[in-house]
Amino acid sequence: MCVKNKDANNIICRCEDITREQILKCIADGYRTLDEIKRVTRAGMGPCQGRTCRSLIATELSRAYGVPMEDVLMSTFQPPVKPISLGALADAYME
Amino acid sequence: MLGAKVLLVERDDIPGGQLVKQTHKFFGSEKQYAGDRAIHIAQMLLDNVESNPNIEVWTNSTVLGIYEDGVVTVEHDEKHTKIMPKRVIISTGAAEKFLGFPGNDLPGIYGAGAVQTLMNMNGVKPAERVLMVGAGNIGLIVSYQLKQAGVEVAAVIEGMPTIGGYLVHASKIRRAGIPVLTRHTILEAYGDNKVEGAKIAEIDEKWQPIPGTERDIPCDTICLAVGLSPLTELAWQAGCKMAYIRELSGHVPIVNDDLETTVDGIYCAGDVCGIEEASAAMVEGRLAGINAALSLGYITSEAEELRKNAMDELDELRSGEMGNHIRNGLEKLSGYRT
Amino acid sequence: MLISDGVPTIEDIIKITPSDERFAQGPVAIVECFQEIPCNPCVKACKRGAIAMPNDINDIPVIDPELCNGCSLCVSLCPGLAIFIVDKTYSKEMALVKLPYEYVPVPEASQYVTVLNRAGEVLGDYEVVKVMSGGKVNMTYTISLTVPQELVMEVRDIKVKE
Repeated sequence: MCVKNKDANNIICRCEDITREQILKCIADGYRTLDEIKRVTRAGMGPCQGRTCRSLIATELSRAYGVPMEDVLMSTFQPPVKPISLGALADAYME
Repeated sequence: MLGAKVLLVERDDIPGGQLVKQTHKFFGSEKQYAGDRAIHIAQMLLDNVESNPNIEVWTNSTVLGIYEDGVVTVEHDEKHTKIMPKRVIISTGAAEKFLGFPGNDLPGIYGAGAVQTLMNMNGVKPAERVLMVGAGNIGLIVSYQLKQAGVEVAAVIEGMPTIGGYLVHASKIRRAGIPVLTRHTILEAYGDNKVEGAKIAEIDEKWQPIPGTERDIPCDTICLAVGLSPLTELAWQAGCKMAYIRELSGHVPIVNDDLETTVDGIYCAGDVCGIEEASAAMVEGRLAGINAALSLGYITSEAEELRKNAMDELDELRSGEMGNHIRNGLEKLSGYRT
Repeated sequence: MLISDGVPTIEDIIKITPSDERFAQGPVAIVECFQEIPCNPCVKACKRGAIAMPNDINDIPVIDPELCNGCSLCVSLCPGLAIFIVDKTYSKEMALVKLPYEYVPVPEASQYVTVLNRAGEVLGDYEVVKVMSGGKVNMTYTISLTVPQELVMEVRDIKVKE
């Protein structure tokens, strides 16, 4: 197999099939944070909730903007940490 | 043990974290069960939990959120459950890091931990021929266990100039015929609908592939053992102050010597506080438990002694050369405390 | 080099090789643990107190070859599988090496197995003379095999034919 555009074949978010090419395009378009990229691409919104792609995208941001990793703004974290069914929510009770 | 009532919530169907699939013997001292295989340590800890009437265990249950008012939500018995604990200990561990390279979504590319689960928990031979990426302890140990399972390991490649894991683990797989190639990276994975091989190359100081060193490694599986990230979502949600500390492998909650976060009553223990060896994680779990019990008023002379012992054990485990980066990380972390 | 490829250098090995005089007295443990890691089961394993860590559990184990009688208890108790027993007094041509083993199949006494050096290179086929099980909890086998005298400080693993 011959890979023509290597970034197009390099998956950063496996849940939502977001490629490195798409992430780099977002950065070229001026998006500067994980949350912005998440909102425009859905990277990090799949079943694993960003556990796989978050640090990879942060690395790209750090590289592109020349800022250390500690200064890359983290996403906001909200419950639930994993997708749950509406049925489970509807059955909610207090222990 | 000190009298507090404990609810243990475990996402998996069996508690024990990574210990339940680690068939190798642990290091450390006898205080951390050194020389015992982790699978046996896990069983012993589980027996202790099950025989203690103060501990209730919910398996197949996931903590979904921790709210500012202290409410913890759990998916339990397929229902969304709210609980209001007096203290919370977050010991969610870590997630495997992934790597960006062309072809990285081909079937046959796994985290090394996933392959270890397939082999040692589910009894599945996961591959015929593996390329292992990463020569930390996980990469080295999983390579050994693959070899034990009758899987050929083509090579272990590592971007750093030196092996990150224990050298005895490296020597063990090396004498079994598995090459360990430092300063090497994966350029791409290839194959028609599944992994059929990988291109690797030697890299220079700037991590750039050196032309002419490209090599083809035919394999049906590529294992990534390129580090772990602390699983900190719950700490973020709860509003714990966090800090990015490279030596601890990412963002970690800022904890004090008691392992309490900046949110009163929320403690963290194990890899969620920074990636370290499992022996240290076990001691941290013990220490966080003791401190949570103490803060609830379960104060006995025994508790104070247990607390001191745990802190001494952590100091001992971290005092050597291999503990350098952890000590540096914890030093940085202490700088963030107010 | 050990730190870059997992193979101890000749210099590493010379540092931990007992004297010819000691070899002439019989079996002795060779501790191939070259890195300070927090680990000390070998110290507890030795009933004769021949393995010491002077400061703490991060020390590199120091073996006293005069106290060691080559009993091989430590071989299956080292979590790093880094201890071997060498007996150069076995016969004029042949020496005995005992090594830890955790693969299947497990060889049987009098079986010939392929022996490997520290880099995994094949050194020939030699005979297993004894197989000791570590039991249900330890699970590590100690394999004794006879190899030519000149190979005994080279042979560190075996490959068993199915």
